[in-house]
Formats: sequence, C-alpha cells, structure tokens
Amino acid sequence: MSELSNTQTKINYNAVWALAKRELLGFWRNKSRVISSIAQGILFLFVFAGGFSSLSITIDGVPVDSRAFTASGIAAIVILFTGIFGGMSIFRDKMFGFMKELLVAPVSRRTLMFGRTLGISLQTLVQVLIMIGLSITFGYYGYDINLIWRVMLVLPVALLASMGIVGVGLTISTRLNDMQSFGLIQTFIVMPMFWLSGALFAFNSVPLPMQVIMMCNPFTYSVDLFRLMLLGVSYFPFWLDLIVMVVFGAILILIGARSFNKMEVS
Amino acid sequence: MTEIKSNSENIVEVKDLVKIYKDGNVKAIDKISFTVKKGEILALLGPNGAGKTTTLSVLATLLNATKGATFVNGYNVAKDPDKVRKSIGFVFQEPSVDGEMKGWENLELHAVLYGMPKKERQVKIQEVLKIVDLEDRANIYVKNYSGGMKRRLEIARGLIHEPKVLFLDEPTLGLDPQTRRKIWEKIKELNKGDLNMTILITTHYMDEADELADRICIMDHGKIIVMDTSENLKKQLSGDVIDIQFENVDNQFKFPMIIKQVKKISGVKNISFGTAGNEQEIIPKIQLPPGMPATVSPEMIQARMREILSDPRKLLMAWKKMPMTANMFLSAPLIAKKKIAYMFDDKLLEEVPENIKQELIKIKKGEYPEEEVDIEPSLSISCENGGKQLPLIIQKINENNLIIKSVDMHQPTLEDVFLHYVGSVIREESSNQTKDVKKMIQMRQLRK
Repeated sequence: MSELSNTQTKINYNAVWALAKRELLGFWRNKSRVISSIAQGILFLFVFAGGFSSLSITIDGVPVDSRAFTASGIAAIVILFTGIFGGMSIFRDKMFGFMKELLVAPVSRRTLMFGRTLGISLQTLVQVLIMIGLSITFGYYGYDINLIWRVMLVLPVALLASMGIVGVGLTISTRLNDMQSFGLIQTFIVMPMFWLSGALFAFNSVPLPMQVIMMCNPFTYSVDLFRLMLLGVSYFPFWLDLIVMVVFGAILILIGARSFNKMEVS
Repeated sequence: MTEIKSNSENIVEVKDLVKIYKDGNVKAIDKISFTVKKGEILALLGPNGAGKTTTLSVLATLLNATKGATFVNGYNVAKDPDKVRKSIGFVFQEPSVDGEMKGWENLELHAVLYGMPKKERQVKIQEVLKIVDLEDRANIYVKNYSGGMKRRLEIARGLIHEPKVLFLDEPTLGLDPQTRRKIWEKIKELNKGDLNMTILITTHYMDEADELADRICIMDHGKIIVMDTSENLKKQLSGDVIDIQFENVDNQFKFPMIIKQVKKISGVKNISFGTAGNEQEIIPKIQLPPGMPATVSPEMIQARMREILSDPRKLLMAWKKMPMTANMFLSAPLIAKKKIAYMFDDKLLEEVPENIKQELIKIKKGEYPEEEVDIEPSLSISCENGGKQLPLIIQKINENNLIIKSVDMHQPTLEDVFLHYVGSVIREESSNQTKDVKKMIQMRQLRK
C-alpha cells in the first residue's frame, strides 16, 4: 500500500478544505457532542476551579488566582480530549467503509490526512474558545479588556498543540482494529497525559520525582504556554515551551502520517 | 516487473496476477490472467473467499499485487495509480457512504476529491441523481436512507466522474427483488447507452450473472476455473440435470455409497450432494460497548458483522484481533456455528485460534448429532439422456432404503454449471468417503 501512495505526494487543497469541512459539519450537526462538550466544560469549571478556589498558588513568586489557574489548565485539556478522540473519527470511517471511498479517490494520502488534521484542529479550537468563553463569563479571569488580546494569543498556541495531539489520535486510530481498545487508550494515554500535565495542580507543589515525570510529558509544556498566554505567568521559559511543542508536534504528526500512509483497508 | 505493453482494445488486462496477504500467508489470488474488452460486462462468480473482491481491489489500486501486471484503461495500475483511479468507479460490497452527511454532500465530496470544478459538479451531481432516481432524496441524511437507496447513491457516486470502467462488488447483496431488478436495469443502461461503460461485477447470484454479463468468469481458491459466455458454459454441460430431494434421513452415511453406485450408470457425468438446512438469523442482537461514539448505530455494526460472517478470512482476522468476537462465536447457536464451520477447509482451519479450532473440528466431525435432523439431503446429477437413466437412478436409491421426496429434471442452468466446476474441483481433493460428504455439504453451504 505504501508504495502506491508514495508515488503521489501532491496536496489537493480543495480536497483538504472539503474534508476539513466534513469534520466540522459532523461536529456541528451532532448536537449531542456540542452539548456534552459544553456541559462537560461547565462541570469541570465548577468542580475543579470552584473546588480548588481556596488553594493559594504562586508561580515564579507571583501569586495567581487559583480559579484562573485551573480554568486555563482545563482550557488546555480540552485540546487533549478533543484532539485524540477526534483522530478516532478515522476509526469510524474505517469501520463503516467510508475510508475505502477516500482511499480509492485520486488524491494523495497526504491530502486526506492534512484535511482531517485541519478539520479536527479547527474543531478543537472552537471547543477551546467555548471553554475560555465560559470561564470568562463566570468571571474566573476577572473582567479586563486585555483578555481579548490574550485570547487571540492563545489561538495559535492551541492550533499548534492540537496538531501534535491529533497526530497521536491518527496514529492510534489507524492501527486500532477493535472498539474495546478505546478504554485502554483512555487509561494509558489520555489520563496520564491529563493528570501529569499540571493542568489542575501547581507544578511546584508536588514532590520532585513527580515533577520529573511531569517534565517528560510533552503536554505539560502546552499547558504551561496556555497559562503564559492567558495569565501572563509560567513555570518554564517561553522559548522552552515553544521548542518542546514544535518538536513534539512535528514528531507526533510525522508518526501519524506514517501510520496513515501504511494503513490498509481490506 | 516484466514489461508488458497494454493492448488498446482491452480496457482491463490482468497478467499472471498473484496476491498473497501478509498476515496468514494466504494466497488470495493464484496467478490469474484475463482481459476485458471495451464495453463489456464481465461477471466474477465464485464462493466466498474465492478471490473476487481481492481481484477488484488490486485493479482499483486498493491493494498491491504481489506479482504480475495489471492495466486499466491503458495505465499500469502499479505505476500510475492516480490515472487509474480517475478512470474507474468503484461500488463497494459493504456500504461506504457517510450516514452523517446528506446524499448531495456525499456526492459533492466525491466530486471535489476527483478534482471537478464547481459548475461541473452541480450539473453532474444532478445528472447522476437522476440516473438512480434519487433527485428528491438528495437533501436527506444518508443514515435515513433504505438499503436500496444507499446502494443507488453509491452507484451514483461511482458515476460522477464518468469512469471508463465501473467496478461493482456484489451490487445487489441483501436487496429486495424489485430493487435488484431496478439496479440491473441501471447497470444495463450504463453499459448499453451513450456511456458504453465497461463493467466488472462480482456476485454470488447466478441469475444476476446470467442476466447481466457478456462473459462469466468462475473463480475458486484464487484461480480462474472457467471463463466464457453464459451460453457456452451451459452448452458444455450437455444432457439433463436431475435434482433429487430426500426426506429427512438419519442414515446419511449411505450417500457416499449411493453416489458411487449412481456414478456407474452410463451417461451419468457428475453428482453433487447438498443439504437444505434452515436459514436462520445468526447475527445476534448486539449492544454497543461503552465508549463508542453515539453516531455508531447497531444496524451499522450488524451490517459489518454480516459482511465478516460471509468471508472466512475476514472472520479469521476478527477472531485473532478481537477476543470479543471469539466469545461471540463460542456462545452462538449451533446452526450458526455449523454454517461457519463449513466455511473453513482444513488449510484455513490451521490458522484458527486454538479454542475455536477445537469447536470447529468437533462440529465438522459431527459431534452434535441431534442437529442433523434439520438437514434435508439432496443429490444433483448431471447426465446424458436423463429421461432414460432416471428409473435406474431411482432404483439404486430405493435399493438403499432412502425415501425420495421429490424429483426434478431440467436443462442445465448457470447454477448447475457453477456447481459442476466449483463442486467437482473440491471433491477431487479428498478420498475419504465420510470426509467427502462433509466437503460436499460444505460446498452447498458456501453457495448460499
């Protein structure tokens, strides 16, 4: 299969957009998904941001409002959940035959993959915005006109972060052949990346061994950069966050592309 | 790869094609060669796992050939997949339309993928919708379509980019007789009309092949057994076909002996043994496992299961990769298990996971005798001068104390041809008599 697809590498941008649109439309039309993502956001915000509100958190010696701290972490986490499970839409297509229709079309695999990645990333972006919008409505970030700029700055970060995560989703779903593994992925990939990213608790408040583990989680840096954009403070320097995100994003998306290229549908 | 020039009169050319699947080392296609002329309809006929779909998949660039050269519309499939893809339309065996999109959107996406400009798209989509009578349903979500409508939509989709060659993989599988007729009409129109499309079709249905195809290619075990027009194939089976049905009998062991005796009667050329077991729904009601997106409906999974259950190789993969399916098999009703058991010959059986293998072997050995009651044995005998030989044959059967339910004598049909070729090939492989009967039962089961 791979030999066949490697002979053509041109990207058909019309097709990319059509595929991305399909992904976005699918999200929009599936009202249960939209509602559940908003409801989940509200729940997270109330439980975590509300529940942790009495904690005092300082980053780099600067005291931070704990609700804003948690809310920004949760906004970053949305990328993780949506990105990985969005990548799973490939699995659905594989399962129900639509993937064959795509593979037999005269477009490169690269086009197919690019279209899907773009679609899921945009969809992730929408969800991140919903989450930030909710937090702002609840007053977690305070009311400040500067928030507009900060949110604008978050968008490119979110896009970059979601690319890498979609890469993970693509890799998993192209290799996955049965539904039962969903639970496995939830337990062994999504949850560790979630809990060990410092989204919910302060990085400097945990014992050193755990800090080391958290530093090995590439998603920690995405969360950190998110905070820098939204709150103006971070644990790691800006350049480190950015480098880790770019490098890991590139590696993950390349691995995703490779598995996608190798995919065979019988 | 050997350099073979493509002949312009043949729109599809297959030369010494071999396809071996990596997992399982199964030779799905075993060195086949054939050509299809422009404007011809060719039907690939054969039991499940014969290699029909694999052949189409290779031609459609979905699978790499292990060896051999294939040309479609003058382009080398291995070297010019893009051009080949643009020249073909493919209607897959199982549904491959996106239920979450409307009919029109499915077609639109297809047209974009095939690089059609917007204006042309609108016109063309309207045109193909008209061909398949779906104009008024274009703005409905495909998940709300009936099976026949989905099928028609898929055919429409295959036509948008005006392919030179159309591949139809079991186009009428599971459709009601009226819808089948309708689709046949469409297929004929495409072939005969201005489009003059070349069509390759795979099917289990004899009547479908007989009705549509200019030429029929019977395949089994990855090989082409015979390829000719329906007329010529039937001519080869000269004489008459006698079908004898028996009352339910416990003494099935007598059949190999009877077959032996009847074969000695002059004029008798070929005998095949079969059983008419009760058809039963073998797909259980299923509940969605947790964690599946809500967009996945049980119907879709059932359709997928139906497909997997019809192909031993796919079943094998499922067992290996999903332990859940293995448990489903073990707890399935016996009649279902039997059906599955007969799909596996000894060679395939070697690859089956151990616990299932034991069960399959048990069933094949006939260790569940109480179920045999369901079986109504029958013999299909092809013989010269049937009218003259019939009394002799009946006499032989009476000597063995078997009760005949009905006798039917007729001119050979395509079904008889199929049975003649596919049945006899298998029978020659085994010598053991009881095994013989089992194999023959298996053949009949496969044919369903």
